[in-house]
Formats: sequence, structure tokens, C-alpha cells
Amino acid sequence: MRASINVDHIARIEGHGNVHVVIEDNEVKTVQMEVVEPARLFESMVRGRSFSEVSYISSRVCGICSASHTVTDLLAIERIFGVKVTDRVNALRELLVYGSYLQNHGTHLYVLAAPDFLGQKSVFPVAEIDPALFDSALALKQLGNELCTAVGGRSIHPITAVVGGFTHEIGPDEYLAFAERMEAMVPFALATVDVFNSFTVPDMRTDGDILAMYAPDKYAVCDSRVAKFIDADVAFDADEWTDHIEEYQVPHSGALFARVRATGRPYMTSALARINVSWPHLSKQAKVAAAKAGLRPPERNPFRNNVAQAVELVDALERCAILCRRLAADEFEGASTPAPFEVRAGRGVGYTEAPRGVVFHELELDDAGRVVHASIITPTSQNVANMEADMRQLAELLLTQGADEPTIRLRVEELVRAYDPCLSCSVH
Amino acid sequence: MGAFSLITDAERRVPRVVVVGLASCFGCQIQITNAEPYLMQILGQIDLQYWQLVTSEDMPDEFDVAIIEGAVTTREAEQTVRAVRERAAHVMAIGACATTAGVTGMAAPGLGGRVGEVYEGAAPESSGELIEPRPVSAVIEVDSEVLCCPIDPMDFVAALQRVLFGSNRLPDTRTLCSDCKRNETECFYNDATLCLGLVTRAGCGARCVNLGRPCNGCAGLSPDANVEAARMACATYGVDVAAFDKALEMFNQVNPALAESGDE
Repeated sequence: MRASINVDHIARIEGHGNVHVVIEDNEVKTVQMEVVEPARLFESMVRGRSFSEVSYISSRVCGICSASHTVTDLLAIERIFGVKVTDRVNALRELLVYGSYLQNHGTHLYVLAAPDFLGQKSVFPVAEIDPALFDSALALKQLGNELCTAVGGRSIHPITAVVGGFTHEIGPDEYLAFAERMEAMVPFALATVDVFNSFTVPDMRTDGDILAMYAPDKYAVCDSRVAKFIDADVAFDADEWTDHIEEYQVPHSGALFARVRATGRPYMTSALARINVSWPHLSKQAKVAAAKAGLRPPERNPFRNNVAQAVELVDALERCAILCRRLAADEFEGASTPAPFEVRAGRGVGYTEAPRGVVFHELELDDAGRVVHASIITPTSQNVANMEADMRQLAELLLTQGADEPTIRLRVEELVRAYDPCLSCSVH
Repeated sequence: MGAFSLITDAERRVPRVVVVGLASCFGCQIQITNAEPYLMQILGQIDLQYWQLVTSEDMPDEFDVAIIEGAVTTREAEQTVRAVRERAAHVMAIGACATTAGVTGMAAPGLGGRVGEVYEGAAPESSGELIEPRPVSAVIEVDSEVLCCPIDPMDFVAALQRVLFGSNRLPDTRTLCSDCKRNETECFYNDATLCLGLVTRAGCGARCVNLGRPCNGCAGLSPDANVEAARMACATYGVDVAAFDKALEMFNQVNPALAESGDE
């Protein structure tokens, strides 16, 4: 086969990207994920700004994981100031991050990915084909939005999360109401695992490494500082992220690419990566659902990221319900009102698992608390290099199976969507 | 201006709508999908022809309403919005990036040097030819706007209804302080805390102030704002005037009204 596959502005992903695959004599010659997002230059624009504004600005890196960027920045600042927040504040932050998981996974699975498997161009026809599924999917997404609004004050770009704590909190009755709604949503999330597990996907294994947050005793998303590369078998503190991750520039992408510094290999970070690292600590029903779906480490098929996200929906719902009940019962030590702190100079790295994977914010502040240097690395910018490698592998696999050009084109698009890339995020 | 041309169209067709994303966090487009209970009703009123975020249909040559999110930050984006303007009877700009250049606009001063702070040498070609970020209205005429960062889904629904069915409602130009008066919330200035409600357009209901956080000005500078008086108020209440000016940049960096006041 000889073909030049070009998909401009690949649809149903966040941000703008073009896919180029060139095939000559039945051989894959070139594979490019062209990230055509304009640079917004966040790392430059926060220079000189006060610490009190930074999390508010960097939240704007991404409309869907704004909660993660906010929390990550606050963690970096608090590390510099030496602020120790209460257990209650940590619980609220976890709730906020999980809220963004519900938003992100719900939106990605049903609005962006599902049409691929249902043979549709968008989710809207599903409203007629399967109204019950459509309504439940929207209700799940809405629950995530309402949780983020209740905790952060707004579904996108949190208001209440500040250095040291929160400026506002909802009451116990509202927490309990959320707990009940979370529990009531679990059956639909379990069904979501089954639905996405039932879709046929190409059989492939990524050759890249896998990176996710690690904690010895829990499925950590925002309260561990340790990141772990599975293949390179390296665990490192967030402060040392540049020793282990190498960012590099390529002409066809506004996003910097990334690879494991020790091995030079690309890597994947995602829900699937977290499942690989933290599988033993999934919540009870999530673990059962994962086992039933055959999703257990090592799972290296990037298409299975969809199933991993569905499993995380179950996990997040169960965890949010517990968090909400405990917040209502005042079981966490301390208050949520911002802790007092003193501004001082220093360098700190904040680290969380955003819905799409590892995110680091490195900040250096002067003694007035103004930003001297900032560096942000998002999940998608870490994934693009691996995505390209997987696209090549997939195209080669499909060629050996005698697939035609439209099939290769569609499958490659589906692969990109399975990564749930946020290209606007990746360029920032 | 084609504000009411849609309902007088002889064909009386369902308005064909496109959604275009420029430099942004995509949050305002996400907010449209976050109008969940009304999403299908909205879609029932329009003929959605193009929305890269949500469907794989290609951008059509003809349409009636264009909804634009994001700031214009490249020559390519400038061409895109001009092409959109030529075809659309109504252009709606949504969110701070599209209406004020928003946070994206903060990169405007010294743009060339900033590129070098993030990339080695020039920005990658695929980023496009970067220009100083600007709101959509700095490039083409815009018929309606939905303010704030991010937009409120219901503000979008209301704005779309006005486009589809017409409205004689004028844009609200009050400043946010009037909302706090109505809400009877205590003023941050009593505590010598900087708040941009003095000069920022009302309409959000003082969402942030109600949650204990000062206004960051995401709705943009009100045309009625008296910036000089606000600076005097800062001085009176013990708030650093330079900090006020600095804070104002976050969503108004490229607003000519602030450049004219000449304090920077």
C-alpha cells in the first residue's frame, strides 16, 4: 500500500492537532502527531506575579483539569512557604481532584470516545438511539460538575482553593446529599466499565514506559510526592522530576515532548498508568469491576485506557462518597479556613495526578512571593511522544492484517482519542 | 451587524451554527456541554454544523451563527476569524479570552522575549505565527458576547436565545460593586484587601466575593469604570495602588482604556 493519511484538526479531543501517517510500499515511513495549538506562554506570563495569583492563572492552562492545576500550584507554593495544611484541607483537595476525574472521564468516555464505538460522529444521536444511556451519561458528568462547584465554587477554575485552605465550605447536609448521589451513581459507572470493555479494540502493547504516582498504601492522586516509572524501575520525589524526565522540542509540535532521561524511551501517563501502579489499592467495587473486565497489571494496550477511566469512575465515586460522609461527620482533623503562613523565597514542586496523568508545577519565588521561574509539565505533553510510537505500531499492525486506508485512518484517530489528549493543555 | 437577520430570513431555516476554538483552555466550550439538562433542548433549536471538540463533521462553507472561544494569538487565527465574519450573520464571542484576551492576553507585553523563555529559539512552526494576543473584537465586529472566565453555562444559553429569537436587551455595563451592595456582602476594602469589583463589569452575581474571594476581574473592565477613582479608593483604604494596577492586568492586559490611562 502507498498512502498518505492526514487528519487535520482531529475531532473530539481538547485542542487542535493533526495526524500524518505516510505509508510507502506497505511500510510505515512517517508518523507525526502535529500539535498545532498556539503557545500561550504561561511559564512566562506568571513571572513577576504574586503567589496569590499564580494558581488562579495556571488553572487556565486547562478547562477540564483546572482543579488539578490549581491544587498542584498550591502544593508547590505551600512547599516553599513551609505551610502544613490540615487533614480537612487535604480531604477537600482530594474531593476537588476526584470531582475533576468524574468530569473528565465522564466527558471523555461518553462525549468524545463513545461515538467511535457506536459508529457515530458525535454523542448527540445517542440521545435517540439509547436515551437512557445518554441521560445517565449526562447525569454522571453533571454530578462531577456539581461536586466541583460545591467544593471549588465553580465547575471550572476553582475559586475557593487558596494557599493554606479554602475560603468557603458547604454544610454537612450538602455533603451527605452528595454522598448519596455518588453511591447511587455507582451502578451506572459499573455498567460503563462493561460497556467500554465490550468494544473490540486492536490488540497491541505500548513499548513505552509507564509513569504514575506511587504510595505504599493507597491509590494516591494528590497526596504522595513519589512518581514511579515501571519499566525503568525508578521511583523519585517530585522535586527531582527534571533528573528523571527530559523535555525536548520538535518542529511539528507546539508542545514539548518528553522521555525517560535514564533510558531515552517515551512513556505513557494516564488512568491506565495509575491502574498499573496502584491496582492493589482500588476501591472494592472498582477492583471487582477491573478484574471482571480483565484489567489488571501489566496492562499495556493504550486502547484499554478507556476501560481504565471507567474503572476509575467507580473508584472515584466510592471514594467521594466516603470523603463526603467523613466531612459531614467532621472526622478530619482541623478546619478548612486558610492556615496562616509567612511569605518566603524558595523553590518547590507541586505534584498531582490530573485525570489524564502526572502533572508537575515547579515554582521559584522571591522573598516577596513573586514568581522568578515557573515550569509546568502536563500529562499530554508527556504522552505525545509515546502516542506517536503507538500510532506507528498500530499502523504497522493494521498493514500486516491487510487493512485499507480508511480503516487505518479511523483506528489511528481512535488511538489518539483513547489517550484522551488535551492539546491546549500540552502547549500552555 | 446581523443581530435580527436570522428571524427575517425568507427561508426561515433552522440557524446553522459553528463553534470555533482559538487560543484558550477550552473551558468555555466545556461549559456549553455543562448545560447538561438543557443540552438537547439547545441542540433542538439549532443546526449544529461544526464543533471540533464534540463532533467529527468538517467545517462547512456556509453557516449563520459563529460562536468563537479563545483569543486571537496567531496570524492564522486572525485569518480564521475574518473568514468566519464574512460568512456568519451573527458572531458571538464567549469567555474572557475571546472578549478581553483574558489571561492569554498577559503574554502580550514583550511577546518575542517570552517565546525564548519557554522554547529554545523560536516557537515551533506548528504553533503558528504568533502575534500579541487580542480579543476577537479587536479583529472583527462581534455581535454579542458572553463574559467571564469561564462563562456560566446559563449565561450562554440566555445569550443564544437572544440570538435565535431576538432581544432588545442592552449589554449591562454596571460595575460589580453594585452586585455586592444588593447581596449585602461585606466589602473587602474594609479589610484593606484588594478587590477588582470596583471597575469590573457586573453580571456574575459576585460569585467569587460570595465565596470569600475578591474579584479578579474576569468579566473585564466595565466601560463605566472610573479607574482613577478606584485608584484613589485603594489609597484611601490602604490598598497598594501598584498592586491594583498589576492585578488589573490579569484580564485586561490589552484593554486600550488602561493603556490610555498611562500609568504603566
